[in-house]
Amino acid sequence: MLILISCLLLFVTALTLIVLRVVQPNARYTWLVAVGGAMLALASVFIWLAQMPFDLVLPAWQPVRLFTTPILFQADGISWPFAFGIAGLTLSILLTSVTRPVFVNSFAWVGTLALGGLGILAVTTNNPLTLLLVWAALDITELLTQLGSVDGSANNKKVVMSFSARALGIGALLWASIVSISGGGVFDFQSMSPASGLYLVVAAGLRLGVLPIHLPYSTESILRRGFGTALRLISAASSLILLGRIPAGGLDSFATPFLLMLATTAAIYGGWMWLRAPEELNGRPYWIISLASLSVIASLSGNPLGAVAWGCALLLVGGALFLASVQHVWLNRIMLLGAWSLSSLPFSLTASAWLGSLGFFIPFVIIAQALVIAGFIRHALRPAGRDTLDAQPGWTRTVYSSGIILLIALQFLLGWIGWGGAFQVGAWLQAVIASLLTFGLVWAIPRFRVLNPIRAHWVTTSTTSLLNDLDEGLGSLYRVLERISQAIIVTLEGEGGILWTLLFLALFVSLLRNGTP
Amino acid sequence: MSAPIIWIAIPFFVGIFSLFILRERSSALIGGVTASVLALIAMVLPIDIALLLGSISIKISPSIQFFGRSFEFNTADRPLLVVVYGISALWFLGTEASGTSRRFVSLGLMIIALLTASIAVEPFLYAALLLEMAAMLVVPLLVPPYQKPGRGPVRFLIYQTLAMPFILFSGWMLAGVEANPGDLGATTQAGIVLGLGFAFLLAVFPLYNWILMLMEESSPYVTGFLLWALPTFIVIFALSFLDHYAWLRNSSQLSNGIQFTGVFMVASGGIFASLQRHIGRILGYAAIAETGLLILVMGLKSSEIVTITFLILISRGLELTVWALALSIIKRKAYSLRFNEVQGLARTYPVAAAALILAHLSMTGFPLLVGFPPRLAIWGELAGQSLGTSFWVFLGMLGLLVGALRTLAVFVMADQGKSWSMNESLTQRTMLALGIFGLFILGIFPQALQPFLANLPSLFEHLGQ
Repeated sequence: MLILISCLLLFVTALTLIVLRVVQPNARYTWLVAVGGAMLALASVFIWLAQMPFDLVLPAWQPVRLFTTPILFQADGISWPFAFGIAGLTLSILLTSVTRPVFVNSFAWVGTLALGGLGILAVTTNNPLTLLLVWAALDITELLTQLGSVDGSANNKKVVMSFSARALGIGALLWASIVSISGGGVFDFQSMSPASGLYLVVAAGLRLGVLPIHLPYSTESILRRGFGTALRLISAASSLILLGRIPAGGLDSFATPFLLMLATTAAIYGGWMWLRAPEELNGRPYWIISLASLSVIASLSGNPLGAVAWGCALLLVGGALFLASVQHVWLNRIMLLGAWSLSSLPFSLTASAWLGSLGFFIPFVIIAQALVIAGFIRHALRPAGRDTLDAQPGWTRTVYSSGIILLIALQFLLGWIGWGGAFQVGAWLQAVIASLLTFGLVWAIPRFRVLNPIRAHWVTTSTTSLLNDLDEGLGSLYRVLERISQAIIVTLEGEGGILWTLLFLALFVSLLRNGTP
Repeated sequence: MSAPIIWIAIPFFVGIFSLFILRERSSALIGGVTASVLALIAMVLPIDIALLLGSISIKISPSIQFFGRSFEFNTADRPLLVVVYGISALWFLGTEASGTSRRFVSLGLMIIALLTASIAVEPFLYAALLLEMAAMLVVPLLVPPYQKPGRGPVRFLIYQTLAMPFILFSGWMLAGVEANPGDLGATTQAGIVLGLGFAFLLAVFPLYNWILMLMEESSPYVTGFLLWALPTFIVIFALSFLDHYAWLRNSSQLSNGIQFTGVFMVASGGIFASLQRHIGRILGYAAIAETGLLILVMGLKSSEIVTITFLILISRGLELTVWALALSIIKRKAYSLRFNEVQGLARTYPVAAAALILAHLSMTGFPLLVGFPPRLAIWGELAGQSLGTSFWVFLGMLGLLVGALRTLAVFVMADQGKSWSMNESLTQRTMLALGIFGLFILGIFPQALQPFLANLPSLFEHLGQ
């Protein structure tokens, strides 16, 4: 019931904002309503700790003989940190919106609240059926939002491509469930057969742009800082939750090293591009890819807690960085505490990140982690060139700062309490090496040209060329298949079509008669 | 009054009467209201049980004799009649929005009446004749007046007509097999003849090319109606065969053959759909793949065959209505329906484009949409029986998904600076919005169909018991 209360708080607040927009378009307290709802939601998610674990079961589909799996949500040590992070991010977005140029009751606030509610539902899902439904809801929402906000043929195509990758992720999750059922399992995460574990990783990897590496998000969207951050990060969190649900022993397969290699490559590539991104919003897709890859690697190494840890870091550390829209020296320094959360040092948010067995891949993973942290530090300490808070009223400055500090505080809180990955010493030696490498990189950035930021338009160009190669390859294959299908169609639909059809029919009958199928 | 008069004779004669109505809107309203009322009567009034309304007693008698044949409906048929006339009402109410000629309603009502008669007729083998008559009535719908028929309608008629002798002949042979079940040769021959009859009726591979020709040559709305109505009743007819003859139900060879045919249709329909550049033909392939699913379900070794079949049939009815309506609206703007003509159309016809894509996604089994629950049920049954078969079905669905995504990409790839505008009429928007609402509601709450589904297995004596 508590899950429902938290989500309803967000949904009802969103609905209230819509009503207020219609009834009282000039009301000046709408922001307070929005923040109040988000605050209550955050508090309610925190209260979950008192009762965890607990379930929310919705009325089953009928006939029950066919649909044996109910729609089930569960608050436990895996879903809680994500839910807490999402509720925190939602509140933070609303708090930091006070510095936006247009500060009125907007659909972006409604969207953020609704997305927060959907996100909490997504991360608490406890079986594939429920996750499939929530994923679909999120994907359709994102598709519509993106199509409404981009212009031009190429950008629209990118939106469809990103939707396609996520739809394929849905397909992979469905296939994992089919494999599980065929192995005698049922349609829930706890009793899924080990054979399906790998497909679950592929499902999450496809949705996050990790397996194979691709940019799942368009960089051209106008929804950048506020709602855009919610859309990107909550969508990513909803996919990452799957990695925390993979059954133990579900990844012992011959394909695991291959997937580890792909994920490590994606992590290093994403980390490198993130380090060299001209500014944090341009680099956001790479932030998501690199953190998601680290999460996938943790999962493939048999450490679901590590996957959750990286997921929370993606949400909270990334959220603080992407929402910081103004130049504020002290705030920038406080934000550096996020590097601690990414370091996997003892008692940090990601302390449980590397408890699995990585074997040969350890050095590469350390490199990827160091690239991500160094990139984060560079973007957090970005030079001037942004708006300042000086011209803003006093309360605005306080509210804005509290929005950023909230996310940093949550990072520390999650390092200590509330879930299986809290208060862990973890693989400290690996963390120390990664930290030292990070310091080295931070020292080297201003000294070596290769580490300098690339121009903004290069980010798009390099990505496009990568995708273009894939696109062209698939296009060629498609054209060959199309020609073959066309030949068959012309044969069957042409003048002699009926004769060909009867010939085929005779062939099938003879096959069936001999019992071949 | 007897049930066959209410659900066969009345719609047939209303159909004839509405031929004389000239106004398109009135014609659509008459068709829609008639079908709705018939669905409502089936929902409310029991058959063969007296209902007291004050001092008046109403009793619908179950059967009627006609030319020595009996037409009979019983209580178990009521949910089926609700579903059939409910979905027909959607088709007829959408006529005006689709811009289809007014004779669609009159001929459509007559076709539905004949097809309904095929469920009621005893001995049930005579259903083949009624199906053939319905197929003949479809032809004037497919061919515009004063025009030479294209190859599609001709081939459709040829295949449907070829089916009839096979079915009737197999009925004669099956009687012999029942009398002497040990005669393996006769059993095999009867099975093959029966299989050929249904192969022609259900347009299994490679007999489905008329569907694609019709999607190019004829009105998408009419073809969509045809693709909903005929397979629905043919599948019920096929289930009657399975129910009637024990050896058909118990033959593992036949069951494998049915599954193989179904899987082949799903896989080939999906793969070919992903390779098309004509959005009408894509609908055709999607319908073929879904017919494949229906055939596959008939071959499952499960007691849930009937429930799953009707779950698919209901979702198919809604999906095809929405899809065909959206396609008709788009066809007015882009006659050829080829990709190069419909590019960027989502900006000018957003509701039609959204409805088409959602209906298509629903047919791929995309979660949240009405097509998802039946497919989930199929996966549940199929995965336990064969992972290999599941893979091919999954591949077919994936092909359909690729087709949907390509269509979506083409729809949204508008030129830079092209603004959004809504060019659908109010009626079109309303009908499409209702359809989209239905796709989501029945996808999220499939239990809403439970009142109809619960009693449908009792239509058949042995299947699903």
